[in-house]
Amino acid sequence: MIRVAAVGDVHVDADVVGRYRPALEQLGDCADVLLLAGDLTRHGTVAEAKCVATEFGGLPVPVVAVLGNHDYHSDQPAEVTAVLEDAGITVLECSGTVLTVGGTRLGIAGAKGFGGGFAGRCASDFGEPETKAFIRTTQRIAECLGTTLRSLECDVLVALTHYAPVPDTLAGEPLEIYPFLGSYLLGQAIDSAPTALAVHGHAHAGTERGITPGGVRVRNVAHPVIKQAYSVFHLGEQLETKALSATGSAR
Amino acid sequence: MNQTLDEYTEAEVQRLLTEHPSLGEQGITLTRREHCLTLTGEVESAERRDEIVRLVNEALPDVDLCWDIGIIRAGAPTEHEELT
Repeated sequence: MIRVAAVGDVHVDADVVGRYRPALEQLGDCADVLLLAGDLTRHGTVAEAKCVATEFGGLPVPVVAVLGNHDYHSDQPAEVTAVLEDAGITVLECSGTVLTVGGTRLGIAGAKGFGGGFAGRCASDFGEPETKAFIRTTQRIAECLGTTLRSLECDVLVALTHYAPVPDTLAGEPLEIYPFLGSYLLGQAIDSAPTALAVHGHAHAGTERGITPGGVRVRNVAHPVIKQAYSVFHLGEQLETKALSATGSAR
Repeated sequence: MNQTLDEYTEAEVQRLLTEHPSLGEQGITLTRREHCLTLTGEVESAERRDEIVRLVNEALPDVDLCWDIGIIRAGAPTEHEELT
């Protein structure tokens, strides 16, 4: 069994430092990894990133993050990433990492994602250059997320994004802003690989649980949604299935 | 309340909260009521809540403001979810 803790949209600045820490100190007892689903800062400044590093650095478990739209606001995503990585936090963007947990390989593919909307109500690669640039951004990110997911050699696969891959977890948000909260292209990428869990944030007024058309569990871990320092998911069935499969092969 | 509360005012406040350099806040709901403007939602700290109220009061000095803005809990979870 692998225990995945996750939270997004913590929006840390100096006024928040210390709020999460008591709960984070307990992570080693209940989780094997912590995923941060973007919007770690308020404005994406280096000063705010240092606050994130203070709050989420030096934890008893590996921390893997993607950035969110807030983390891009000051046009310094590289600098923000560098501060986080200096604190030992792995930051993914169209990339992946594999952690070994008790002999099991946990693969995590991460990308910020982008908007565009969902089937039947989505943006298309058509019209003005600005509209085409918008949806092409999402297409590019979704393609590289899918490629990363399919390329990771692991036993359990998790997708980490900031934007939502399904509309299910947006329930509670105004319908008018769905196209700015996620895209079905991310869900399609997640379904292109044997993903066990997809975690995202961004939708503060959304709901926790959803599922992709391909049957992958989706969890919105935005802090205002989960209302706790992090949620913890136990991924076990995939490993048991794999073990049974391995046993069958040996016979 | 002397100042007119209309959709334009509501949009102006929404953008103020999002775009102000000290806030970047998108999680506040505005409700225009007969006698006041109500701000509701949850934020990450008491300082952030106080800044929101201060900024809106400053932007709309003639509007009666009501607010119920909570601080999001950040305690450790008491349960986990089995994904089987």
